[in-house]
Amino acid sequence: MATLEHANWFMRGLFAAMSAIIVASVLLAQRGREMFIRRIPGLTAIEEAIGRATEMGRPILFSPGLDGIGIITLQALAILAYIVRLAAAQATRLIVAIRASEVYPVAEEVVREAYDAAGRPEAYRPEDIRFISDEQFAYALGTVGLMARERVATNFLFGGFYAEALILTENGRALGAVQVAGTPDPTQIPFFIATCDYVVIGDEFYAASAYLTREPTLTGSLVGQDIVKGILVALVLLGVGIATYLGGAANEAHNLLWQALARGSQ
Amino acid sequence: MSRLFAPAPTPRLLAAYLVIGLVGSVILIYLLHRGLGPRGRRWLIAVVTFVAGLFYGLEFYYPVHNRKNFLTDWIEPVSVMIAVIGAFTVGLGIYSLCQVHGRNVARRRPGWPNSLAFFVAFLAMLVFGLWSHYTPVGEPAPKVLPWQNGVYEVLFNGLFAPLQTATFSLLAFYIASAAYRAFRMRTAEAALMMIAAFIVMLGQVPVGAWITSGIPLTSPWAFFRLETLGEWILNWLNMPAQRGIVFGIAVGALAMSLRVWLSLERGTFFSEQR
Repeated sequence: MATLEHANWFMRGLFAAMSAIIVASVLLAQRGREMFIRRIPGLTAIEEAIGRATEMGRPILFSPGLDGIGIITLQALAILAYIVRLAAAQATRLIVAIRASEVYPVAEEVVREAYDAAGRPEAYRPEDIRFISDEQFAYALGTVGLMARERVATNFLFGGFYAEALILTENGRALGAVQVAGTPDPTQIPFFIATCDYVVIGDEFYAASAYLTREPTLTGSLVGQDIVKGILVALVLLGVGIATYLGGAANEAHNLLWQALARGSQ
Repeated sequence: MSRLFAPAPTPRLLAAYLVIGLVGSVILIYLLHRGLGPRGRRWLIAVVTFVAGLFYGLEFYYPVHNRKNFLTDWIEPVSVMIAVIGAFTVGLGIYSLCQVHGRNVARRRPGWPNSLAFFVAFLAMLVFGLWSHYTPVGEPAPKVLPWQNGVYEVLFNGLFAPLQTATFSLLAFYIASAAYRAFRMRTAEAALMMIAAFIVMLGQVPVGAWITSGIPLTSPWAFFRLETLGEWILNWLNMPAQRGIVFGIAVGALAMSLRVWLSLERGTFFSEQR
């Protein structure tokens, strides 16, 4: 049986510290502490993009990407729930194109409950949650076909995307759809920037549910992760400073420390 | 534990396990569906998520002895169980496809022949794929129908694979059109990106090196040779930005994982019901 890699003491300590900061920030926010979130244009544009589809009387397409159930897809589905609530309130049809079969029942549940929450359960159409194909390019072409046949006014692409990202967005653009995309994958971000109207990049993707709902729990978690990022940046700067001014001695100390930590995992 | 997950010793026992497993699953799902209201379902999802997260978290963080801890041996069986549960959803996907395309054909909607093509392709791949998979093999080669494997080969390697490759090759044209739009110098940022991309691209090809080959390698101006400048842009400007994004993504994923694990997301994710 293949054995997985395990954490060493440094990783355990770092994980515990980072988790503690995020959870503490969540608890503070739940107790009513005001927390500021900067404006994220890509997420602010969601309402505008839905409004455009409503004005044109044409549907919206949402793709949660290629990944199966995981953190990226769960975040995409949280964004989907928000978009469905807005679209339902404006009586605009929304189609979801699914690649991973295990995402299909979860997406169905999220959309159905979002229509319930918007007070329009009768507007829910199960056939608008479409399983396209589990093959990457068959999914891409199937989704492009759906965009063209349904003449979608707005495309939302949130999730894990790979080589098919450009096929989806270039065709969406050719069809004149407003496109809002978000992915945490740095290799696909440039393609989205080149072809979409608004893009949510990097960790903004994970900030989406907090930004859109302003729920104290989620806002607290977002502020917590910003504090953690600040600490990591400080650690990087400290490391750069030590390596620059101590040179070889720092390298030796680093190697000794790393060996000690590796022993700690045994 | 190994006995629990060992393969069934006889085909008859395997069939019995399959029947018991299927009947048991159906009864369990029925009871959960009937017995649990929305609140109960949410509670069940929260508990299962927490236990599953705890299992993988503990396995990774708990100290190990000889590269193993008390949970390591369970990783593979649990992963297989999750894969099996995930495989059930393939049926749901196929059901969705048949529902949508069946309705198109039945109501003769515009483009219904495409939906008919879906059924023909689906059945052809299913029948010939299974037939080919269960073709007997051995020495000497057993007698099979001449086209038993041939049809599957034509469908998969002769049709499906080239179609995939053709779609992938379309990317070259999409990249060209997207790059053309991105590099139009309408703003200062676009101009900067255009200049950087121009240097990096030239730095990667022999003609780029040739253009600035007049600058001696030992000269104080050697930094401005296109291949050196291109590499500097990639390693000193692009890489820190990429790493900054990756840092943010990793911390964001950790925060999201904690929210899902502790079911703090449920207000958004499983929308409030009226």
